[in-house]
Amino acid sequence: MNLPRGTLVRSRVVGDPAAALSTALDRELTGYAVFEPQDALLLDADSEGVVTFDDGVPVCAYHTGTGRGGANALADLAVPGPYSVELRELPADDREAVRGESDLRVAPGTAADRLAGDPDLAERTRAAAPSERGRRDETGGESMDAVEAFLDDDEKIDAIRNRAREEARTRAEQWGLDSELE
Amino acid sequence: MVEAFAVASGKGGTGKTTTTVALGMALADEYDVTIVDADTGMANLLFHTGLTDADATLHDLLVADGNEDGRDDVTVEDAVYDRFGMRIVPCGTSLDAFEAADPDRLREVVAELAADADVLLLDSPAALGSKSAVLPIVLADRAVVVVQPTIPALSDGLKVQEYAHSYGTDTAGVVFNKVHDPDAAESVAEKAERYFDGPTLATVPDADAARSARRAGEPLLAHAPESAAARAYRTAAADLDVRAGESDDVADRFRSAVVPESP
Repeated sequence: MNLPRGTLVRSRVVGDPAAALSTALDRELTGYAVFEPQDALLLDADSEGVVTFDDGVPVCAYHTGTGRGGANALADLAVPGPYSVELRELPADDREAVRGESDLRVAPGTAADRLAGDPDLAERTRAAAPSERGRRDETGGESMDAVEAFLDDDEKIDAIRNRAREEARTRAEQWGLDSELE
Repeated sequence: MVEAFAVASGKGGTGKTTTTVALGMALADEYDVTIVDADTGMANLLFHTGLTDADATLHDLLVADGNEDGRDDVTVEDAVYDRFGMRIVPCGTSLDAFEAADPDRLREVVAELAADADVLLLDSPAALGSKSAVLPIVLADRAVVVVQPTIPALSDGLKVQEYAHSYGTDTAGVVFNKVHDPDAAESVAEKAERYFDGPTLATVPDADAARSARRAGEPLLAHAPESAAARAYRTAAADLDVRAGESDDVADRFRSAVVPESP
């Protein structure tokens, strides 16, 4: 996906993707967000996830590490956080650039619903989506593709579990609970 | 005979309290059940069970003797309310009381409650970032992990499981809650079973009945017993293989748990 650089409108480190999605929606951003995980323990820490927006509503997703697009890319960019996120706005002339190929597309509410786990944001996003964007398919049958793709990634799940186990032990020692550990 | 379950999730808003109350009511058909609001920083069990006017709560039991926020005259039995076929121990919502609470006392309270129960359900905090938040998982025999079919909820649910396992607390099962499309979530539940050490106990549909029950201050199973969500919880309770132990042993274990000195 060739995206012009556009104008940087926000650059933050955030705990989860919801804030960036919400900001894009509130600003009616036409442009894209670049999510870069800060968690060096995960194998794809050097890669980035990109979500494009048309008037604040997600259109496409792709991941530079796996080369995958659509719901799979949402799963690929999901890490336990934090992320560094850049929001970039494109001029009206470049609007077509955010629409990408069909295999990169995501339904309007999928990122908020499945990646951010924020049903209210998903509802707001669907309400803001033009009717031709397929709001219907998300209110009837829901796409769980991103969640399934996440669960198919054994390596990432193992990394999350290992990280949690290490964190549990470290904190147990800090809290004086280490004698309770198995 | 008692088994203590922590009803836990790493993420807020998954419906832990609704799940705790619903599992408790369903299990109460067969067992002596006590449910405890162990989420002492963000208590809400009282709102689900019509106990907003409760005089004595868990907070009173956790505040150290002599503390100006505490009441020395409250016994464990004073904070237990018989409702809906269960024994319910609500927690207050005062931030001052939370700050004055000594989590060290939770083990004594749980040990005392264990003596009179077959099943203890500990409604646990949504976070894992403090000693008091982790304590219910440390004390429990097993955890029921409540998730939604989203990436962060599953990721956090797996994190809870790892914390629980670190303390020797096994996974009793997973409840998929607030599911908008149960058919679509089925494949997610199947895939998730590879990573969770307990079975999927239920896929509970997102329901107006649960919200309406909460507004009415009633458990879902009392408010809308024939709703699809209530049926799902009864199925979950039936699939939960309660393992009886000796209550004395369990009480001793709670008492011997090394617990933090401050929240």
